[in-house]
Amino acid sequence: MISLLKEKLAEVLQAMAPLVATVCLLQFTLVHAPVELFIQFVVGSMLAATGMLLLLTGIDIGILPMGRFLGAELPKKQSLLLIIAVAFAIGFAVTSAEPDVLVLGGQVDVVSGGAMPRQAVVFVIALGVGLFTALAMVRIVTGWSMRNILMVSFLTALILAWVAPATFVPLAFDSGSVTTGVLSAPVMISLAMGLSSVLAGRSAVSDGFGIMGFASIGPIFAILLMGMLLS
Amino acid sequence: MSGGWIAEIADTLLSVTIAVTPLTVLFLIFQVFLLKLPLGQVAEILKGTAIAAVGLFLFLFGIGIGFLPFGRVIGEALGALEQRWLFVLIGFLLGFFTTWGEPAVRVLCNQVEEASNGSIRRSLVLITICIGVAVWVALGVLRLLQGIPLLYLLTPGYVLVVVLMWLGHRTFIAIAVDAGGVATGPLANSFLLALALGASASLGDRETIVQGFGFVALIALAPITSLMILGFLIRMLTGAKE
Repeated sequence: MISLLKEKLAEVLQAMAPLVATVCLLQFTLVHAPVELFIQFVVGSMLAATGMLLLLTGIDIGILPMGRFLGAELPKKQSLLLIIAVAFAIGFAVTSAEPDVLVLGGQVDVVSGGAMPRQAVVFVIALGVGLFTALAMVRIVTGWSMRNILMVSFLTALILAWVAPATFVPLAFDSGSVTTGVLSAPVMISLAMGLSSVLAGRSAVSDGFGIMGFASIGPIFAILLMGMLLS
Repeated sequence: MSGGWIAEIADTLLSVTIAVTPLTVLFLIFQVFLLKLPLGQVAEILKGTAIAAVGLFLFLFGIGIGFLPFGRVIGEALGALEQRWLFVLIGFLLGFFTTWGEPAVRVLCNQVEEASNGSIRRSLVLITICIGVAVWVALGVLRLLQGIPLLYLLTPGYVLVVVLMWLGHRTFIAIAVDAGGVATGPLANSFLLALALGASASLGDRETIVQGFGFVALIALAPITSLMILGFLIRMLTGAKE
């Protein structure tokens, strides 16, 4: 674990240094923020760097294997229904617990003038993610073309966006970011990689990836449709 | 001041707890009914999850007290600039470096290199994602300055993606859409968003909230377009049929 920490330390420093350096440069040339605030920024970046070190190490030790074991074990049960259920459960549970979703739900509550209460929004978004995660698993198992599904989804989303009330459009497309929990992303991807590694004729890359992106279309549809129903 | 910090700590603790709990509970349920892994392995996974949770807490807390308020200050200063092109340029640089520092982006790039057995280099994917976000953040800044409706940027963006999907290398489609997800991680969502809000506040027009919405949508679209372009270039250069 010590060697893993060392390896990750180099990565964290390389990851954070350019951003911190740019911000410092801006501070001394353009921004000239109060010293107190600048010190707070420096302290915050050190905390964030330490956090990132532990986060990346923990993901390697715990989170990635968790997804990998699940992905390798599930297909052995020979039940498509079970795979769908597990994918739905992960998508739904992880999304409804995501802090960003609560914030977004509050914003929709405001934009809709209270017609769409926060809890209902959170539920609908989580449902959207759950359904699309399950659909992504079905796609891996059946071998449907990713291209066709994505094309239909993107174009449908665009058409809905031009029809839906304008205030809902930015919210809907922002909600794509809610499926991106730092912890859930690695689990989903390694789950899909595990699944495609045990199915014959699947590529770890073009079948293992795509779930997160695919799942993020769910909430876009959900919020646009919600906006159309309310108007 | 200290009261604000305590509230920040409590908020972050709550966020991390609700982010970690469902994953852990689901894993334990699967472990009992399905996986039945040896206890040593379960302990290792739980240990890793606990380390990740502590890390996530420190990371989010650091962003909350450091990057969030400072992003806003930078945004306000940039919005007040006489030279508008400089704001666009700085938006480009900050977009690049923020994504460069986003942990989930790094995890994704590692997974890509691992899954492709090293044939797709992690650095190539990382730099492509960062360039994509940089370009779209610059466009987002232009949108703030000019008041361009979001759909005027999103529509050509998604249409471009659909077209490139057919012209480019198949392998990059899946990676590209996932990259759209991870690029909008905690750093971008707080730092870049605070920057956009600060800028639109100091530009002093329109409703700040409406302007801030949609910024994240552009960041989510960004790596999809840049990775699809990379897939297109690779297919052109290698002449691969796929």
